[in-house]
Amino acid sequence: MPVSRRGFLHLASSPPASARFLAARGLEAHLAETQRSGGARALVPPGIDEIRISSNENPLGPGQAVLDAIVTKFPEAGRYPFNSTPSETALAAAIAAKYKVKPENIVLGAGSQELLKNAVRAFTSPQHGLVTAAPSFENCPGIARKLGHPVTEVPVDAVLRLDLEAMIAASKGSGLIFLNNPNNPTATVHGAKAVADFVSRVRKLSPDTMILIDEAYHDYVTDAAYQTAIPLALDTPNVFVTRTFSKAYGMAGMRVGYAIGRSETMKPLGTLKMPYNVSVLGIAAAMAAMGDTKHIEAERARNTDVRAFTVKALNDLGCKSSESQSNFLFTDVRRPAKEFREACAKQGVMVGRDFPPLEKTHVRISIGTLDEMRKAAAVFRSVLKTEMSPPLDETPKKPGRQQEEAAWR
Amino acid sequence: MALTRRRFVRAAGIGAAGALTSSWIGARGREHSAWSAFEPTLQAVEPGPIVLASNENPLGPGRTVMSAVQAAFGEGGRRPGRYSGSSRELIEAIAAKQKVKPENIVLGCGSTQILRSATHLFTAKDKPLVGTIPTYEECAGYAEMMGHLVRPVALDSEFKLDLNRLADAANGAGLVFYCNPNNPTATYVGARATREFLAKVTRESPETTILVDEAYYDYVTDPDHDTHIPIAVDNPRVIVARTFSKAYGMAGLRMGYAVGHPDTIKKMAEWDGGSGTGSLNVLALHAGIAAIQQDGSFTASERARNKEVRDFTMKWFADRGMKPTDAQANFMFVNIGRPAKAFRDACRAKGVLVARDFPPFEKTHCRLSFGTMDEMKRAVAVFEQVLARKSTAAA
Repeated sequence: MPVSRRGFLHLASSPPASARFLAARGLEAHLAETQRSGGARALVPPGIDEIRISSNENPLGPGQAVLDAIVTKFPEAGRYPFNSTPSETALAAAIAAKYKVKPENIVLGAGSQELLKNAVRAFTSPQHGLVTAAPSFENCPGIARKLGHPVTEVPVDAVLRLDLEAMIAASKGSGLIFLNNPNNPTATVHGAKAVADFVSRVRKLSPDTMILIDEAYHDYVTDAAYQTAIPLALDTPNVFVTRTFSKAYGMAGMRVGYAIGRSETMKPLGTLKMPYNVSVLGIAAAMAAMGDTKHIEAERARNTDVRAFTVKALNDLGCKSSESQSNFLFTDVRRPAKEFREACAKQGVMVGRDFPPLEKTHVRISIGTLDEMRKAAAVFRSVLKTEMSPPLDETPKKPGRQQEEAAWR
Repeated sequence: MALTRRRFVRAAGIGAAGALTSSWIGARGREHSAWSAFEPTLQAVEPGPIVLASNENPLGPGRTVMSAVQAAFGEGGRRPGRYSGSSRELIEAIAAKQKVKPENIVLGCGSTQILRSATHLFTAKDKPLVGTIPTYEECAGYAEMMGHLVRPVALDSEFKLDLNRLADAANGAGLVFYCNPNNPTATYVGARATREFLAKVTRESPETTILVDEAYYDYVTDPDHDTHIPIAVDNPRVIVARTFSKAYGMAGLRMGYAVGHPDTIKKMAEWDGGSGTGSLNVLALHAGIAAIQQDGSFTASERARNKEVRDFTMKWFADRGMKPTDAQANFMFVNIGRPAKAFRDACRAKGVLVARDFPPFEKTHCRLSFGTMDEMKRAVAVFEQVLARKSTAAA
C-alpha cells in the first residue's frame, strides 16, 4: 500500500478537529517526554520524523480485532462501564475464565499502574516497607516514598538480573516485595524455578510479606526456562501477579491491566480499586484482545527478530546489552544516558529516561519496527562516533528521587 | 465537518494500512466493514432495556467528538497503542474554556478520581467528611474505607442542601462534599446562596476544604445559576469538580477534572494526578479535547432537550399525584409512595431500568434518569402499568 503518512494526513485533515490532533502529534510527544524524563529536555527538532523508542510500547498498536471492537463499541461511549456491553464484570469474568479461576481472583486496573499503586498502599506501612530492585520500574517506590513508607532498593547483579539472594535477605519484615520479571529497565528475566524458589524462601523468612510479581512483559519472553507465576500465585498465599494490555497487546493508550491471585490476597486491592476505572472502549478492546492469540504470537516473533537485529547493531558499535527478554534493551553506551538521549533526539530518535544508579553508562532502548530500528541504528552510529564526555566519577550513585515522577514503562 | 462517510472510511482504511505491516493490509476488508458499520450502528435502536438508572446522556458524545476520536484513532491505527502526552493538551483546552490557567486544573479518570483524591487529601481520622444524606456516595464511601469519620447532614424539607446545617457541621471538618445539583435529589441551590455559604465556611472554619461537585452543571435551568470556578481559583479551600460523563455524554470514556487554586491542584496532582501514563485513556483525552472545544451550542442544545423530557416526565408524575422534587438535572427524585426496590424490580421485568436505593428515602422515593423523549414515553407506559398494579393490589 504505497500511501505515505503525508498522504493520509492530507486525507484526514478535512475536519478541523482531526487536523489539529494530527498536527499536534510532535508537540504532544515532546511534552510527554519532557514532562516525564526527569528534566532532560530531549527535543526532536521540527521537520524531523520522530522514532519513539522510549516507552516500551508495541510499535504496531493493537490487533485488528481490537480496532474493530473499539470502533463498534464507540456508540456506547455515553454509557457507564457497568451499563455497557460487554460490561466491566464481563471483562473480569473473561480474564478469570482464561485462567480457570473465579472473578474474585481478578482485580481490574486502569493499566497495571493503578494496581501497583494500590498494592503499595495496601501492603506497606511505616513499619513494613517496600523491597524493590535498583534499577527497576519506579512506580512502587515512588508511591511508597509519597506515603512515607520505607523503601529498600537492592542493586541488580553483575549481569543486570534481579539479585534474588539479596532481595530474599532484604525481605525480612517488609510489607511488599516488587519483583518485576522481566525487569524494566534491565530487560532480564528469571526462570520459573528461580521464582518459585524465591517465593518459597521469602515465605519462610518473612511469612507476612506480600510478593508482587509484575509480568508486564510476559508475552515477549523467549527463554524456555521462564513461565508465568500465575499458577504459583493462585496456589500460594501472599503472592499475586500483575499483567497489562499495554505491552504486547499494544493497548498502552487504553489503560487496562489486572492483578490475579488468591481471593484473600486480591481483597485489599479490590477495596482500593477505583470504581469504573476501565473505559467502555478499554473493556471491549481487552475482551477482543484476549480472543486474538495469533496477534500476540506474531508480535512476539516480530519483536524477537527486531530485538536480535538491534542487539547486534549495538554490539557492532561496541555497546553491549544485557540479555533482553523483553521489547527493550538495556545497553551500555559508555556515556551518560542524558547525553546519548539528547544527541539521539536531535536526529529524531527518542530513547528511554535515566535509570539510576546506572544512568551514567546505560540507556534503555525500546524495540520499534525493523524499519525504525534500522534508522535508529544509523543514528546510534553517528552519535556514538562523537567524542565522549570527560571521564565520569566512578562512585556508584544512590538511586535518585528525581525518578519518582517517571511513569513511562 | 463535511467529511463524508465514504471519505472517512477511506481515510481510516488507508491510515491503518499505510503504517502497518502487510498482514494488516490483508485485514483491510475487515477493517472497512467495521468502519462502515459505524454510522448505521449509531443510528440503530439500542437493543436491550431502556436504561434510566445512571444519569447518562442518552445521546452520547455527539458527532464532533466521535469524528475527533475517529481521526485520532485513524492515525495509522496506532493511537491506542501509545501512552499519551495529550493530558497537557486537554488541560490547556479546559483552561481556555473555563478562563483559568493550566495550573488550576487536574484531570481524573472520571470525576470519581477527583472525588477520591480530595477525600484522601483533606479528610483524616480527626478531620471528618461532611456530606448530606443522601448525596453521591463516592466521598463518604472512600472516607469510610480509610477509617475517616463521616458527618452526615440531613437535607431540608424540599430535599435541598440545608446550608445552615451544613455550615454548622463544617466546623472543624476536613472536607465538605457539596453536590449541586445534588444527586440523587436533583435539587439545586442558587449561585448567590452557594457563594455566601463558601465564604461563611472559609471564614468560620478556615481549615475546611469544600468540594463543589458541578457534575450536572450543564443541566441547570434555574436563573440564579453560575459556576463556582472563579471562587475555587482564588480560594485554596474550594475545589470544583467537573465531569465529561453527564451532559458531554462520555460516561463510558472516563474523564473528569478539578479546578482550584494552584496549591490545591498541585497537592491533588502529586497524590493521584491523572495522566496519559496513569489512569487516563488516550481516546478519552482526545474526546475530551474535542468536547470542550465545541461552542456553547452543544451543551445548550442538550440542556434544552433534557428540559423538554424533564418537563414531560415530571408532569406525568405530578398529574398522577406523585410529587417530584424541583429537578435541575438530567434525573428526578420522586415520591412514588412505595419502596424503590419493588418499583425497580417491576420496571426491570418490563425492560426499564431505574436507579438503586437511596436511604433514608428508599421506602418512598425513586430516582429516574431522563432518556430520550421516545424512551420516556415508552417508560411512562411501563410506570403506568407497574404503579397501577401495585395500587390495585394495595386497595
